[in-house]
Amino acid sequence: MTAVNTITPSAADERKIQSVKRMKEIMTAYYIDAKTAAENNKKVAWITSGGPVEPLIAMDVIPVYPENHGAMIGAAKMGIDLCERSEQMGYARDLCSYARADIACATVDGGPIGGLPRPDFLVCCNNICGTVLKWYEVQARYFNVPLFIFDTPFIHTEFSIEAQKYVRRQFEEFFVFLEEQCGRRFDGDRFEETARLSYEALHLWQDILDTTTKRPSPMTAFDAFTHLALIVTLRGTRTAVDYYTQLREEMLGRVARGVAMVPREEHRLLWDNLPIWYRMRWLSETFASHNASLVADTYTSAWSGMGDHFDDKDLVGALASSYANIYINISIDRMFESLKKKIQKYEIDGLVMHSNRSCKPYSFGQYDLQRRVMDELGVPALVIEADMVDERAFSEAQVDTRIEAFVETLRQKRVS
Amino acid sequence: MIAAGIDIGSITTKAVLLSEEGILGSHVRFTGYNAEQAGRTVLDELAAQLGLKRKDIRRIISTGYGRRSLDFADRALTEIICHGAGAFYQNSGIRCIIDIGGQDSKVILLDETGKVKDFVMNDKCAAGTGRFLEVMARALEVDLEAFPVLAVKATSPARISNLCTVFAESEVISLIAKGTPREEIVAGIHQAIAQRVVALARRIGVREPVTMTGGVARNSGLVSEIERELSLPIIENPLPQVNGALGAAVLGLRMG
Amino acid sequence: MRELEEFRRVARDPYTYAESLKKETGRPIIGSFCSYAPEEIVVAAGAVPFRIFGTRENITRADAHLQAYACSLARGSLEEALAGKLKFLDGTIFPHTCDTIQRLSDIWRLNAGIPLHWDVVLPVKLNTESARDYLAGVISKFRRDMETGLGVEIGEDALIEAVALFNRIRGNLNTLYEMRRKSPGLIDAGDLHAVVKSSMVMDRRDLAAKLEALVEALRRTEPRDVDGLHRLFLAGGVCSHPEIYSLLEESGGVTVWDDLCTGTRYFEGLIAESGDPVAAIADRYAIRAACPAKHASLVSRGDHLIRAVRESRARGVIFLFLKFCDPHAFDYPYLKSSLDEAGVPSMVLEVEEQLPPEGQLRTRLETFVSLL
Repeated sequence: MTAVNTITPSAADERKIQSVKRMKEIMTAYYIDAKTAAENNKKVAWITSGGPVEPLIAMDVIPVYPENHGAMIGAAKMGIDLCERSEQMGYARDLCSYARADIACATVDGGPIGGLPRPDFLVCCNNICGTVLKWYEVQARYFNVPLFIFDTPFIHTEFSIEAQKYVRRQFEEFFVFLEEQCGRRFDGDRFEETARLSYEALHLWQDILDTTTKRPSPMTAFDAFTHLALIVTLRGTRTAVDYYTQLREEMLGRVARGVAMVPREEHRLLWDNLPIWYRMRWLSETFASHNASLVADTYTSAWSGMGDHFDDKDLVGALASSYANIYINISIDRMFESLKKKIQKYEIDGLVMHSNRSCKPYSFGQYDLQRRVMDELGVPALVIEADMVDERAFSEAQVDTRIEAFVETLRQKRVS
Repeated sequence: MIAAGIDIGSITTKAVLLSEEGILGSHVRFTGYNAEQAGRTVLDELAAQLGLKRKDIRRIISTGYGRRSLDFADRALTEIICHGAGAFYQNSGIRCIIDIGGQDSKVILLDETGKVKDFVMNDKCAAGTGRFLEVMARALEVDLEAFPVLAVKATSPARISNLCTVFAESEVISLIAKGTPREEIVAGIHQAIAQRVVALARRIGVREPVTMTGGVARNSGLVSEIERELSLPIIENPLPQVNGALGAAVLGLRMG
Repeated sequence: MRELEEFRRVARDPYTYAESLKKETGRPIIGSFCSYAPEEIVVAAGAVPFRIFGTRENITRADAHLQAYACSLARGSLEEALAGKLKFLDGTIFPHTCDTIQRLSDIWRLNAGIPLHWDVVLPVKLNTESARDYLAGVISKFRRDMETGLGVEIGEDALIEAVALFNRIRGNLNTLYEMRRKSPGLIDAGDLHAVVKSSMVMDRRDLAAKLEALVEALRRTEPRDVDGLHRLFLAGGVCSHPEIYSLLEESGGVTVWDDLCTGTRYFEGLIAESGDPVAAIADRYAIRAACPAKHASLVSRGDHLIRAVRESRARGVIFLFLKFCDPHAFDYPYLKSSLDEAGVPSMVLEVEEQLPPEGQLRTRLETFVSLL
């Protein structure tokens, strides 16, 4: 059943997040800067979304994020075309669709912004997956540029002393690498300043995500997916801190005025895994039509979680810890503990898991998590099969049916 | 000298008899359970039609999935080699062959002498094969023969984005439920297959001119969709269904 | 040949071998998935390393834990564990390689019911100073964790002896490969596969002696005539399809060398027998041919492949990939173009534990070989 919400135009207007406009301006300016870097004698580094960007910013290198670009390609529904192109280049279609789209895009300067600016070097941090290593190897060969690999050993049962030392030492090696690439001394003071700004933004982001603990929730995970862009691309800058200060104000204002993103918030849901970029609007409307609000997610909070390791006296050590302990670099039992905390904190009624063909480290283990969430916490959980960018792996009819049936279970549980 | 080519496919078995003067005749029958018997019968029936005896046939080459089941054949060669030889015999200009069969699709590149230079086959997934078309025809309750006729009428083909045959079938069913006209769905199905097949072709690089073989090549709607995807004309193969058997016979004749 | 019988038997049914070895000797059996498991330390601890290979049976139990887009090695191995077929294992080692094995380790630890579990979180890169130090640190840590887990002490002498033993084993496997490269008719590729496979399972002391006996026996053997067959090279990950070798022969080809995880990558490179054994074990990992989940350099995999193909005088390369194996799939276009530039024809077979329908496979192999 799909209850149609009667929405007056003013109510719909009020629900719109005003800061979006500012964010779009910032992102446009950021991409213009990046695309004109060469003309302004600036270096461009491609870096993974969970990579240690602070040293780059301290050295005036413009960081560019192929994953953010992948999300843009997905949202612009340009994924199929680029994925097919990469398949013609010989890449199996079972590979990550961000990687496939990016690899193809580099050869044709396609996609929504006509391709990314050419990198001077690449920085790959494997705290999000092993895929980025292979992907960045491909691009390093294609552009014939150096690749710095920042290796964050996976945390199964412990972040061993050996691993801690190793990650720390790589910061030193990274600084030396940057000195070679930029041809000047590493600026330690600016690095510390950048690291502090980074943590400030991460803490603000956490505050913003926490506004959804209130009922009704002033925003949903779909909004978080959109506003995440800056924490990925501009953390470590004053711009990000200013923007998230503004966004936090807006969210707190909404909470005070009782503005709900989903008008008749009945079911509070937790989303797991990356967004399905090409169906954001449809999914958001579908959930809203069932009075279900996705108040939290494990994806955008992966960044805010990094904020927990802040230590002003040892910023390198803090960053080493932040980057190594990121949500997707930990074992599924640790993930469960994190899910449990979120379920309690945000008063979650149901868990929606996106089984994402593109993201094996995020998706494998979901079935075990799903069972534990249901058995130990008594929270229903749904798995949706899809892909973040490659629409060919998405069946709208199937997903629609599953969501409807899931909400029905939630409703029945509420009644009983 | 007369040579025979026998192509034992999963559904039909084909035979061609060939001499230096040209094609003497061809014949098609269902394969059934017994590939060996199908191969024997199709050749005997064709020979009888032409008033020939078995001893008049100097060479017999078998091809297709059942190629190894014929103990009376002089040689068994893969259908890729034979499709290459058959298409080249019919038109020595051809450099690329797209063959869409029931179970699999393949793309074959030829050099200037008609030898196979490179080839690629689909993986185990049925997208882009004749089977995909059959499943969709069933979902639409439309005869496959009517596909080209319907596709011509389409003005804005429906989008079938799924690769998986099962998912795509559910996509088609939901399009039907939404009231999308059949012709638009049929055109959309053609587009989906064309995209898959052309993607396969691009993996080894398309060379002009291109021809198509296999029974699906008779579906003019699909052929023109592939032409559009490739931005190249498809040169018609006059005998697409028996092309593999013809190639086998050509290679038999060459053995002397 | 008498010397081959035991290898064939073990390769056919490794479980029965391991079960009876355990019953007879009481020694712990320790499973692993990968050539990066430090087997020297396992042997020095008095245990037997056992390579887990997946299954040919239908997968049902593992489907409750892993999505269909996990590779068949991960799904199949989990299936075997959940079906209770690996009960003889006392523990499992998970060296860190790809995203799938990384998550399988968690799922395994929580569900497989095997008492001991070791994660060996190797570095992903092998070519920097900090990574080399970390690598040695991880092997050291594994030694300590193994001591704790098994309740034994791994003495320096035992370690030095284990290193020498593995050098003997790897040296002999290498000799076998070289003999066959010179004369492919000396031993069937399927038999050689059985030898390598059982080398990952058998009691290693017993194995070392049997390998030496086999090498000796082969020196006295008259090779079969395979002159009409084209020399081929196999490259990829795990090969658990012995039938591929006979299919290749029937298609007119014969494999003469490989770059497989269940082939040369298992035995390539000896360990220095002087100095600190732990550091020496780590060094071998850093210099041997890398698995695509590890980074030695941007071009090391292509360079290695071309060199090995040239040395083997192979006419063509067959890539044998497990479907859904990301590291190999990412390297494929690069490796293929390296081969193209070197003028070496190649084809790719994407397989699961079950091979594709035989008809299609034969068609592709026969066509490829006939074009060489």
